[in-house]
Amino acid sequence: MNDDVTLHDDKLQEVARRLGARAAERLDVERTAEAVVARLRTEPRAEVRVLGWIQPAWLRIAAVLLLLVGAGVVALNVRGPQPTTPLPPASAGGELSELSGDELRIVLAALEEPGAERQGVSPQDVSLEDLSALELRALLESLEG
Amino acid sequence: MTPAEPVAAVPTDAALIAAWRGGDEPAAAELVRRHARALARFLAGAGALEADVDDLVQETFIRAFRAVGRFRGQCQFRTWLMTIGGNVLKDAHRRSRRARVVPLGDDLRATDGDPHERAVAGEAERRLVAGLEQLPRMQREVFLLRAQQGFEYEEIAAALGTTPGAARVHYHHAVRRLKEHMK
Repeated sequence: MNDDVTLHDDKLQEVARRLGARAAERLDVERTAEAVVARLRTEPRAEVRVLGWIQPAWLRIAAVLLLLVGAGVVALNVRGPQPTTPLPPASAGGELSELSGDELRIVLAALEEPGAERQGVSPQDVSLEDLSALELRALLESLEG
Repeated sequence: MTPAEPVAAVPTDAALIAAWRGGDEPAAAELVRRHARALARFLAGAGALEADVDDLVQETFIRAFRAVGRFRGQCQFRTWLMTIGGNVLKDAHRRSRRARVVPLGDDLRATDGDPHERAVAGEAERRLVAGLEQLPRMQREVFLLRAQQGFEYEEIAAALGTTPGAARVHYHHAVRRLKEHMK
C-alpha cells in the first residue's frame, strides 16, 4: 500500500482500520455459524425469495403490455378497411325505386366491392332478383335517364 | 515404528466451498467462523448499526451460500462475501429507510489510552463514518476494502467487477473527499 501517495496519511488509515472493531468483537461467531447453518437447512432457497420479489413487478409489466397489445388488436379489427366508395344512406334498406340513376349506379358499384359486406350491406339485402317486375322496369328506366 | 501421520492440512476456502456445494454443513459453518468478524467490521464501517450487524452477517452468508455456484474464484471468497454484504446492507437501508444516526457511545471510542486521546479517536471515527456515508457506494466500498481490509487493487477490482486502475481512482477520490470531510 505504500505506493499510494494518499496513504501517507497514516491517520486516515488508522482510523479506517479501527472502524467496526467493536462490532466485530461483540459478534458471537459460533452462534452466528450455527444460525446460518440452521437457516440454510430450513429456509427456502434465496433464489426463490429473490424471484418472489421480482415476479410481481415483471408480471405487472407483462400484464400491461398484454393489455396494450390486446387493445390495439381489438381496435384494428373494429375499424377494419374503409370502402373506397361511399354508400348513399338509402342503400341500407330504403326503396330502390326512390333512388336516382346516379344513386343506383353507386349502389351497384358498391355491391361489387369486396369490402362492401363489412359495412353491413349484404348483396342479399339489395339483390336485383328480389325486385318485382315493376321495380325492375322503374330501375331500368331510371338508368336510361 | 509406525509412520508419522500426515499433519492435517487446514482446508482452503475453495475446498470448504466445494464441500458445502456437496452438502457439507460443517464446511459452511467453518467458512462463517473464518470470515464473520471481518465481514462484521466491513458492514459496520459501511454504515450498519451495531445492533443490526449480527443479522446482516447472517443474511450475507445465507445469500453467499445460496449463490456460491456463481462464485468462480475470480477473487477471494472473503472479498466476494463483502460485496454481497454491501448489497445486503443497501437492501436493509432501503427497507428500513431510517436515518442512520452514528452513535457517540462506546462503539466509536477506543478503549485504551487516556480519556483525551479516546475522545479524539472517537471523534475521528465518527467523522470518518459520516464521510463514508456521503460517498458513492463504489468509492466507499473500494476505500473500506483497501484501507480497512487491506486488499490489493487487483483483488478489489476482481470482486467489484472493475479494473485495478478504476479501483485506484475510486480510492483516491474517496480519500480526497474523506480528508476534506475530516478537516
